[in-house]
Amino acid sequence: MEMIGLGLAALGVGLGLGLIGYGAMQGMARQPEAIGRLQVVMLIALAFVELVFLLTVFVAPGSFVHFAK
Amino acid sequence: MGASLQTFSNLFAQAEAVPEGTSYWGWFAYVGFTLLLLFGAIAYAKRGFKERVFKNPLAQAAEQMYLFIESMCVNTIGAHGRKYIPIIGTFWLVIFVANTVSLFFASAPTAELSFNLGMALIAVGYVQYEGINLHYHALRQKGRDPVTSIVFGFFLHLRHFAGPKLHWLMAIIITPMIFLIEIVSELMKNVSLSLRLFGNIHGGHEAVEAMNQLGHSAYIPVGGFLLLIKLLTVVVQALIFTLLTCVYLSLVTHHDHEEGHDAHDGHAEAPVLTPAH
Repeated sequence: MEMIGLGLAALGVGLGLGLIGYGAMQGMARQPEAIGRLQVVMLIALAFVELVFLLTVFVAPGSFVHFAK
Repeated sequence: MGASLQTFSNLFAQAEAVPEGTSYWGWFAYVGFTLLLLFGAIAYAKRGFKERVFKNPLAQAAEQMYLFIESMCVNTIGAHGRKYIPIIGTFWLVIFVANTVSLFFASAPTAELSFNLGMALIAVGYVQYEGINLHYHALRQKGRDPVTSIVFGFFLHLRHFAGPKLHWLMAIIITPMIFLIEIVSELMKNVSLSLRLFGNIHGGHEAVEAMNQLGHSAYIPVGGFLLLIKLLTVVVQALIFTLLTCVYLSLVTHHDHEEGHDAHDGHAEAPVLTPAH
């Protein structure tokens, strides 16, 4: 059950990261001069989405720790 | 990487007869190793600064790092962001070197939650200090005495959490709620900063160990293929920690910058092209 939860969390985060990459790439393609600015904002957004996954992993009872050992 | 590789932390844990990861001295050894790397590299880079043209490769790298940090500060915080280059640069160096240690060893300072929490507390605490400090200097310029300036600066900084100005009837209900939420979010900044760094670095270790299980019978370290991804994580996490600190600093100082230009615009240390106002 924990494995399924972890998989679902990874699925959601994968979708979110993909959407961020999609949006950022589209913006970069349309405005190549804004690449530097977009990359920074994209990285911040990536960090926020990743944090959700990490929180899930830590809240899930022992799933991650169990998995590794 | 785990039990087969005898590293500091393992050896210390064995000597203390405690499970690995609970040995403080083993962990301090990693911190010491990181600091040794850091100070050694900086000391070597500093020797190159005496020349007119930097020929020392490490000095060149340090120059590039300075330019990178400077552009990050100035772009995110604004023209007065040059003041924050030292603390941002310190955070970047410590996190980057500690993360690089995590590439080659079974543990690293940033793979421990306490180290990251300490750094996050310093970062968020410094942001609060800066918020009060700017108000303090603005009040001192107006001729208040120091004690009043500190107290008033503290309350002016607290006002920053109270949200927008509302009609008094609305303010009675809504402002306490906004205040509470802002305080909680301020506290959560510590958690998010530290947990992100810890999760990424520690998660990288766990992923490498899990992948090593694949080639365990044939003695192939499959987890080594993750090194490239971990290299990306190392750079990105150092960038994100410092960038978020910059964003928090800009949130605190931005408001002040618009209102009290006279307070901190005459600094000789900021030769920035600012229009006359």
